[in-house]
Amino acid sequence: MVERWPIVGMGAICSLGSTARETFDALCAGRSGLAPIRGFTTDWYTSDSLFEIDDRDDSKDRPGRATGFLLSVIAEALTDAGLSDDLGDVPVLVGTGLRELRSVELWRGSGAAVTPAELHFGAAVRSRFGAWDTHTFSNACSASLYALSLATDLLSAGEADTVVVAGTDSITESMFGVADRVQSIPPDAVRPFDRERRGTILGEGAAAVVLRREPGTGGSPRGWVRGVEVNCDAHHPTAPEAGSIAGAMRAAHQRAGVTPADIDLVMLHGTGTIANDLGEALAMREVYGEDLARPVCTAMKSMTGHTSGASGLHSLITALQSMDAGRVVPVPTLEKPIDEMSGFRLAREQAVPVDARLAQINAFGFGGINAVTVVEGNR
Amino acid sequence: MSEQLFVTGIGVALPGADHRDAVLDPQVPEPVDPAARIGRKGLRYKDRATQLALVAAYEALRDAGLLSDPDDAKSHVAVDASSVAVIAASNYGNLDSVAATIDTIQQDRSTRLVSPINTPNLSSNVIASEAAIRYGLRGPNLTVCNGSTGGLDALRWAGSLLRAGRAEHVLVVAVEPDNDVVRSFAGTPRALDGAVAMVLGPARDEVDTKRPPQAVLSATQRAATIDDLLPRLGVDLTAVDGWYGPGGAAEHGLIGQVRPIELGHDWGTPSSVLGLLQCVHAAARFAAGATGTLLAVCGDPADGVYCGTLVEAPRQASRALTAAGHDAHR
Repeated sequence: MVERWPIVGMGAICSLGSTARETFDALCAGRSGLAPIRGFTTDWYTSDSLFEIDDRDDSKDRPGRATGFLLSVIAEALTDAGLSDDLGDVPVLVGTGLRELRSVELWRGSGAAVTPAELHFGAAVRSRFGAWDTHTFSNACSASLYALSLATDLLSAGEADTVVVAGTDSITESMFGVADRVQSIPPDAVRPFDRERRGTILGEGAAAVVLRREPGTGGSPRGWVRGVEVNCDAHHPTAPEAGSIAGAMRAAHQRAGVTPADIDLVMLHGTGTIANDLGEALAMREVYGEDLARPVCTAMKSMTGHTSGASGLHSLITALQSMDAGRVVPVPTLEKPIDEMSGFRLAREQAVPVDARLAQINAFGFGGINAVTVVEGNR
Repeated sequence: MSEQLFVTGIGVALPGADHRDAVLDPQVPEPVDPAARIGRKGLRYKDRATQLALVAAYEALRDAGLLSDPDDAKSHVAVDASSVAVIAASNYGNLDSVAATIDTIQQDRSTRLVSPINTPNLSSNVIASEAAIRYGLRGPNLTVCNGSTGGLDALRWAGSLLRAGRAEHVLVVAVEPDNDVVRSFAGTPRALDGAVAMVLGPARDEVDTKRPPQAVLSATQRAATIDDLLPRLGVDLTAVDGWYGPGGAAEHGLIGQVRPIELGHDWGTPSSVLGLLQCVHAAARFAAGATGTLLAVCGDPADGVYCGTLVEAPRQASRALTAAGHDAHR
């Protein structure tokens, strides 16, 4: 009997919407959250657009925004789960790429008041939700799925009955700046798996799920986590390694007790960079083999930008919503897919109807840290 | 269900202490010279925290007998690469790289002078990923940035990875660099500028008498106050022989009749390294002939949480540990 853990609540925020529902509706409509830069001095940069959350009244940036996103999605997920705002000894595991480094930048650059306790999210989560078993994992772009793997281990070991798993990130000027420096022609869009892709564009956002050991007595869960696999390429600081990624996918399938032929939907990591999309496509070919036309594949960063540590859970929540609604979100920016993706069923301009029960979610990060999960819908 | 963790390797890269036993009686602090310890190659463009962590990681992996060539500081592990996990703990690790990038952009009012070679250092997981690349560690790779309790929290996740069968050995390395950015941000006259690493793995004393575990750790626990922490640890205070306080000194005085242990040296602000420093200090005492069980506690009022673990001498009956951990897990 394969273990599975019910997801009883979820919440999301990104450039497209301030709740999971708003975000999914915008994704289905094929809308893009890309907009003129709000948080930085635009004159200093070649690129002029980012996938920011529009929560600043004037153009002045302020510290603590990643923390604010996080508190918002945890509150939404708890409400969705029918749980109170008082978490007590419920573990809260937060994955992030850049923690509150944007606050450090504002401290450094303009003297904003920021304390060491605000660098991680523990104190804020404790203050708002009374939780003291809080953990911040800085695991780049696979952070929230890495946190999910630790949560399933806690539930399996009987160390907790309920775990809140979240991911959050705001854009740091240092990471945006180095991308701006490297991209001599800034990309005008995120084009995952397109021949004309020119790199990724950063996004902001947060996502949270409430995971339980047993389903509660309330309504039916949003879905189930069937298994999460994590590993590390140990190969290169920024370039992915297809063999290691394929290994993570196979091991995730094994944990979930499924084969590629069972997967109906794949939420690709799809950042729109040359290296990621090529490595991910090669790994997908290797793993799916003769079954490559079986799942519908999509890449939502085309509409949200790269939401870094939150992106894995953003994809997971979208997968559950897609299976519930019977619609897969499109990749509106995809025109000419790369050869390495030929044969795969890539969602294109419009939301695609689908009857899906099992989905695979990919998340890969700097340093070659890979996380893959399989989730089951509630239908 | 065993809740014990076995310390099978220790690495130390601290100003004034370059191995376990030196922690008990440190020399006059001199900054750690990573190139002198593990060679110059592979250190270029790495930030200070990563360099310090690579030194401590090498020593710990060698001490645990995991390297294919123990005398080669660029050696990969000899065991199955996917069976070795890495957990790094750091709070201030890449603040210098982030601040330098911001300074460059603001001064030039453009990104023209930003160096792309610095890109990995802008992501806080650079320490764990560089350790994985250098020593060929392909298991789970985790970076804990969790404030004052970070080092002991890392031990908790090491136990979780081992228990879940995701790894057979876990390299835990905690590191904090010292520089003007860290001093100013943390409001301290001097930060630690060092790293401590431990390898946690299966008990080796039954299979390899030449390499017994150096200490045995209980499952770490967290709580909002030290008073709340003790029952969670399931600790029998009459069986505890001393305790390490969260300030690195003994300002909290006695817990019951348990006397505090001074780390006996001004290490600078240790932040996430404190928990591992406490454990290694305990292991050094055991190596020097001490027995018994010690309590290590980290945390601070600003973080609003405390984390603790029991550190027991190897090869002794589990007096305090038998009860520890079990009550706290439902």
